[in-house]
Amino acid sequence: MTTPLLVLEDIRKNFGAIEALKGISFTIGKGEVVALLGDNGAGKSTLVKIISGGLEPTSGRMLFEGEEFLARSPAEAKAAGIETVYQDLSLCTNVDVVANFFMGREITRKRLGIPILDERAMERETAKALSNAGTRIPSLRTNVEHLSGGQRQAIELNRFVHWGGKLVLLDEPFAALGVEQTRRGLDMIRQVAAQGIGVVIITHIMQQAFQVADRIVVIRQGVVAGDVARSKTSPDAVVSMITGEALAGAGPAG
Amino acid sequence: MNPRTRRILELILDNLVWFMLLFVLAIFSIFIPNYFQLGIFANIIEASSVLGVMSIGLALVIITGHMDLSVESVTALGAMAVGILFCSAGIGLGIQLHPEWLMVPVSLLVAISVGALIGALNGVLVVKLNMSAFIITLASYIWVRGLVVAVSGGRSAQDLAPAIRWFGIQRLFGLPLTAWIAISCFVIFSLIMAKTPFGRHLVMIGGNQQATYRAGIRVTRNLIIAFVLAGAIAGLAGWLLTIRTSGATANLGVGLLFNAFAAVVIGGVSLKGGVGSLPGVYAGVLLLSSINTAINLMGLPANFTQVIHGLLVLAAVLLDTLKQTIRQRLA
Repeated sequence: MTTPLLVLEDIRKNFGAIEALKGISFTIGKGEVVALLGDNGAGKSTLVKIISGGLEPTSGRMLFEGEEFLARSPAEAKAAGIETVYQDLSLCTNVDVVANFFMGREITRKRLGIPILDERAMERETAKALSNAGTRIPSLRTNVEHLSGGQRQAIELNRFVHWGGKLVLLDEPFAALGVEQTRRGLDMIRQVAAQGIGVVIITHIMQQAFQVADRIVVIRQGVVAGDVARSKTSPDAVVSMITGEALAGAGPAG
Repeated sequence: MNPRTRRILELILDNLVWFMLLFVLAIFSIFIPNYFQLGIFANIIEASSVLGVMSIGLALVIITGHMDLSVESVTALGAMAVGILFCSAGIGLGIQLHPEWLMVPVSLLVAISVGALIGALNGVLVVKLNMSAFIITLASYIWVRGLVVAVSGGRSAQDLAPAIRWFGIQRLFGLPLTAWIAISCFVIFSLIMAKTPFGRHLVMIGGNQQATYRAGIRVTRNLIIAFVLAGAIAGLAGWLLTIRTSGATANLGVGLLFNAFAAVVIGGVSLKGGVGSLPGVYAGVLLLSSINTAINLMGLPANFTQVIHGLLVLAAVLLDTLKQTIRQRLA
């Protein structure tokens, strides 16, 4: 196996006296889809925030493409090639679809040395990306506040597919999606992985994890309670890892 | 609803305040004798230049979801700085520069830098220390005005250097240059807000600061720049004010803040942030100014002005709610 995309080594995070993460270690390979499972409060979202630059770990280290890595802000993580789709949506509802799609990466043309937004180019790109993914939004110029929850989530998902990067973190990305859109979302994840991009997906729905993931990592009370290939486990075994009844087929536990 | 009527409706909603302005001007022109004159309209624009420039800065900060109460005092400080340096009577030092025109850029620079400095202080305190913009700028509103009174000793400066006053006297197409400066400020800042990534980012920060941070936009930096700009623009407004009054007094511009607020709100800027455009604010400023002119022409006691302004703000907020409801139906 070549160098893994991301290696987590003994990541710990304390919030005051509370130990949210008590030493998390696992790896993500290129083109691999890892489902991160665990009960509420197990520390999944905290871990994702540490990788994406939203939080700094108390101790431990990360290797990204074989090199020491620590993102101090989402901007740094993005620059390194890590895209994140958060549980609570990260859209500005007061601007239109195009502006959201290109948030922070607007296409500009220089006029007299001043960057001017190239609205037409951005609208074209957005329309292309959305139609490729089969998302229908009547007008790309409507403000996002007027769109449904499903449409909003579709914008976020298409945004990460379009920008790609090297590693994608998805924190419960399908919470507001219907059956058909979820299926399409899972397809999107497989496509993204097929391009060699690593994917970490947090989900509560066992079925989704088994549909999309290559590997399943279970976190319980801040430690890795299981790290198994999908083909070598079953939903029942994973449930017992989550609840802590038995460590059936579990990898290293903390 | 077919797309065409929808587009027309959207257009009307987006520019509601301009239609209100036209409507009010039409009504005044019909019912008030002597209102319908080019001179009157020129006067409306001229009278609104200081308030207009100040409102730009206030609107910028409010659009990012923050607040700047200090603009009025900063305007006064800018005016007082120029007054003390370049007025020849009262507390004015009457500094002369050769050639004379040099006084124009120097005085402008003084006013703008004084404003930018206080804006920077506001911005750093609000953003870096994560304090409430309302409280920080309220403090600045008080201490900066105090500084104006202190440095002037409560007295005034008169007789501004003619080279600077020239901007208030020289006319182009019937309007003094000061009015043109205000208009160009609106044009420039409207373009910045609508056409550049920086303007787009300010609007998005006002909409969802968390999301813009996650998207890698440098929120802290942009917010501080917004505060600096608001201060610098207020300084420019002070420069215009000195020209207008040909000097500076300690209580110069008292009460302008509330007019600026009224203009910004009437102009369609939401105090929650993220919503509003500068052309709308200019229409709001012109609307206030045309009502003042009507009150003067009708010979009503000026005390009524404030009552009407207050009611107008109330009407603007109600209208905003109505607009929201219509938009929801449209979507």
